Amino acid sequence: MIYKAVIIGGSAGSFQVVTRILNSLPRTFPLPVLLCLHRLKHVRSGFVEALSLKSNIPVEEPHDKELLKSGRAYLAPANYHMYIELANRIALSTEDTVNHSRPSIDLSFITAANAYREKLIGIILSGANRDGALGLKRVHDNGGIAIVQDPAECEVKTMTQSALQLTRVDCVYTTDQIINFLLKIK
Amino acid sequence: MPDLGIVDIREIIRALKSEYNCDFGNYALTSFKQRLERIMILFNLGSAEGLIGKLRSEKDFFDTFLHELAVPATEMFRDPSLWRWLREEFFPSAINKTIGKYKIWLPGCVSGAELYSLAILLSEMGISDRVHIMATCLSDKSIELIKNGCYDSRKLEVSEENYKRFNGTRELSAYYKADRNCIFRNTPLIENVEFRKLTVDFDNAPLNIKLILFRNCMIYLNPTQQDKILKVIYDSLSPSGYLITGIREKVPGISAGWDFETINETESVYRKRIFS
Repeated sequence: MIYKAVIIGGSAGSFQVVTRILNSLPRTFPLPVLLCLHRLKHVRSGFVEALSLKSNIPVEEPHDKELLKSGRAYLAPANYHMYIELANRIALSTEDTVNHSRPSIDLSFITAANAYREKLIGIILSGANRDGALGLKRVHDNGGIAIVQDPAECEVKTMTQSALQLTRVDCVYTTDQIINFLLKIK
Repeated sequence: MPDLGIVDIREIIRALKSEYNCDFGNYALTSFKQRLERIMILFNLGSAEGLIGKLRSEKDFFDTFLHELAVPATEMFRDPSLWRWLREEFFPSAINKTIGKYKIWLPGCVSGAELYSLAILLSEMGISDRVHIMATCLSDKSIELIKNGCYDSRKLEVSEENYKRFNGTRELSAYYKADRNCIFRNTPLIENVEFRKLTVDFDNAPLNIKLILFRNCMIYLNPTQQDKILKVIYDSLSPSGYLITGIREKVPGISAGWDFETINETESVYRKRIFS
């Protein structure tokens, strides 16, 4: 296996895209999928259930220090940052918000990029602020694959455009192309 | 932004051990790195050597370092549903069953967010005089700031929202005065709280505690240290004492060192069982 994990960041307008991706991945998808999506701080339940409805792979909100497994999706819990530790573990944090966000996409991407280096695929989707741009840059700088959803297709373009301004990404893909790319991972 | 490598972090841990006999080797690496980098920005230190130099040459800096290293609770009344549960279900019966003071321990205080939330809750219930609260901190600076009531005003907005969801009997603004960057909470709320410093390994933990409020502190430790601290926590509790952790933290359950039964799964409340 070339890659170790896929990490996806999104905010406003990303829910439908994530749902389509999870609906298209096979049950045997060979990597863990990390999801860092902006969400309300005080609403703890409902999101993971909504994402699970059409997903072929189990979607869960991890506990601290949980071991990552292939063929599962891990959603950053409300009001926690989700870090990726070395040795394939999740670590949660209640540190300050970054870009007004907790979970922060930048922090999830930066820590994942440190843990997996070139064996990481980072994807930034539709969203309304700059969070994720620095994180995707770190994925790219560490040799991983940096993908941005085509802004033309995004409900809200700010997040993808900020990422594109900061990094010469590997691919600008529509949702269908993102899915095709992921399905080719063996 | 600084980006510390593993070698840098090990050097810093070694310096802290040799200079202050304080072992951070079992802290969770990623958050420890984040905290160190944050301290470097805060004190304008460009490199790991710079930080180590400051730690070695300025003995007063170590206490500040410990204060800045510790992660404060996000805001007051985080998870309002827990605070409602404590008010409506937990405290009424817990206090009634207790003869003498009901002992509560908050092991990891940094900003006092949890402590003041608890003090407000108890005050609104009219049972402040029935409890004895012990608050322990890693640093003197944390103790001093909490005793002054000082609190980061950027955390006020979410705290106010939380307090509304908690359905408190007043407005949160009844409990503080706003200053420029800081608000000052009403210190009479905590006048009977006992403060102590606690070591990284919890060597001087108190005993016979009825309730330990320990939310989102163990996430900053690696699994080895989490187990060590959970054992100390278990030993600190009186028989049938309660432990409350953060909702996404390790579920204590049963192991060689402890035996906890789950009392409230949604809010992560556990009760100590005695080994049989």
